[in-house]
Amino acid sequence: MQTENSIFARLTELKLIVVTGKGGVGKSTLTSVLGRLFADAGRQTFLVEVDPRENLHQLLGVPPSGGDIVEVAPRLRVQHIEPRTILDDLVREKLKVDVVASKVLASPVHKHFTEGAPGLKEAAVFGRILRLLRGHTPRGIPTPDVVILDAPATGHGVSWLAAAQLVADVISSGPIGHLAAEVAAFLKDNQQSGVVVITTGEEMPVQETLELIHSMRIRLNQAPELVIANALYPTLPPEIPAEGEDPLFDLWYSRRQINDSELERLDEGWLGPLAELPILPIEPGPALVGRLSRYLKRELETGS
Amino acid sequence: MNPSDHPLVIVVGAGGVGKTTLAAALALNQAQHGDDTLVMTFDPSLRLKDTLGIHEGEESDEVKVADYDDGSLTASLLDARRTFDRLIDRYAPDEEARRRILTNRFYDHLSGSLAGVLEYMASERLFEISQSGRFGRIVLDTPPTRQALDFLGAPERIVGFLESGALRIALKPWFDARGRFRATAKFGIIGRNVESFFDRMVGLELLRDMAEFFQAFAPLFDGFRERALEVQELLRSSDTLFMLVSAPGPQRVADTLFFARRLKEAGYNLGPVVVNRLHPHLGNDSKAGLPTVGSDQDGRRLLQWLAHRDAQGAAHLRDLLGKSHPVVELELRPDEPTDVQALAQLGDQLRKGIEDNLG
Repeated sequence: MQTENSIFARLTELKLIVVTGKGGVGKSTLTSVLGRLFADAGRQTFLVEVDPRENLHQLLGVPPSGGDIVEVAPRLRVQHIEPRTILDDLVREKLKVDVVASKVLASPVHKHFTEGAPGLKEAAVFGRILRLLRGHTPRGIPTPDVVILDAPATGHGVSWLAAAQLVADVISSGPIGHLAAEVAAFLKDNQQSGVVVITTGEEMPVQETLELIHSMRIRLNQAPELVIANALYPTLPPEIPAEGEDPLFDLWYSRRQINDSELERLDEGWLGPLAELPILPIEPGPALVGRLSRYLKRELETGS
Repeated sequence: MNPSDHPLVIVVGAGGVGKTTLAAALALNQAQHGDDTLVMTFDPSLRLKDTLGIHEGEESDEVKVADYDDGSLTASLLDARRTFDRLIDRYAPDEEARRRILTNRFYDHLSGSLAGVLEYMASERLFEISQSGRFGRIVLDTPPTRQALDFLGAPERIVGFLESGALRIALKPWFDARGRFRATAKFGIIGRNVESFFDRMVGLELLRDMAEFFQAFAPLFDGFRERALEVQELLRSSDTLFMLVSAPGPQRVADTLFFARRLKEAGYNLGPVVVNRLHPHLGNDSKAGLPTVGSDQDGRRLLQWLAHRDAQGAAHLRDLLGKSHPVVELELRPDEPTDVQALAQLGDQLRKGIEDNLG
């Protein structure tokens, strides 16, 4: 039963969800899973990925599309956004004269500025998402109710979230500065945007998740909407064979023990909504996304 | 191909594959075989940090972990900001230049978040220590990066940046003595358009900050540039061997292969490829077909399925790379190896795996 204040109900009020976490924990899988849930619930859902490998496309069973918006299921669309292209588009948009625009695009100042300026690319991606949400979509494509961003893994997870504010602080005027300020305000508005952190039940991902939650609180005065512990070994049965009797069981036992103690550490440090998802014997792809979305739905509706 | 034949071993791979643990295990093993070994690491788990005795913000950044009759292990935790500060201390021509850089508000952003700075700092520090000749062997763990090759590209990017026109433009006196923007005619009409465009796009304030930063940094650039080139030379020399670590499973093969190719194409010396943390074949499971899993709650069957999947991935990688590189498979253990004894065991397995697979 879905209750008024279930986590799922809360998530469906948001316009932007940023999915973040350490590399290899299943961010793209869970971005797809969340997308499936929202689309099934009747919301026009856009998934955005920045990684050029276009993993989201693979997970949803469509070939890489190089930046086109692809419909993968009713109300569910996916797009790869290349930050550099957005910045170049911005230059073309502001400079009406072609020869000047191409001069700017070719100039080393532009190249190094856009490559090196901290936070600029991230702010540009969020800027593009904001435009999508405001109805600037290609002809025939509906305005999304919600955009889910599969944020790239970085050493410091908070850097994606803090990027826009950083740019806004440094660039106080001009179109880039205005865009960054607008994005920063949007990301701070917890009625409109939220963060979902993905981890596994292992030491390093849990450690990074706790550090991310901490720096979100300190630097951004924000907290994630939800933490998802992914790829957990199954819970242990009541009957436990003696150690050494069954090596397969022993490995299951010790890996699940690690999951349990790390989940406990996560729970104590986080104190917020936590969903748990199992490792499933299915290769990454639409079948896995479908199965996991049923698991996640159950987790989110019961609340934790 | 054998890390034991190279004074410098660099452990690379995507985030979360176990680079740090393997770097520590390899270094410990080298120490036990008689080398004075240093392991330089970025982001160890809390327990591994305890084992190595390294912690952030300590006075000394090198800690002696183990001393054998012959050989020893020292660990060092890399900190980008501290290395950056040290670099400026060394290259800044005088106290005034140093102060101007450290107080520029760009410096804070740059030292923390500029793409490649952490990576560059790692190779910088590596060069410094390797030149000192204090260690017979150095094992370097690499930072988690989005694109795992960022680390290697960093010195070249810095040189590229220093040689590009960006610096010359930034160093032009854009502002007059009263801090007002000075339009220049050097670039003709297009040049003025470009400049006025940047002015409109990002505002004068940012340009002023950047110009000031680059001007403050200018005296350092020559030393920096020279050093970046030397670092690059060291990374490509025959003394240096790369060990590539991959997670198991068929879906990782493409990434690992891509990484291996990029390394070789760029002229780096790729040695062993380690497939880490494979689910082992245990019990009476047959290696013939893929086991079917009845219930999601059946952990035994799940582990068999995972063992089968991981073996397929490793076999595929061996087909593709096994002829030219030792492909070493390391099994998932009941617990992560963090104490000295477990690291030593893992180090032995790694050594044996490499020796067994050397053609």
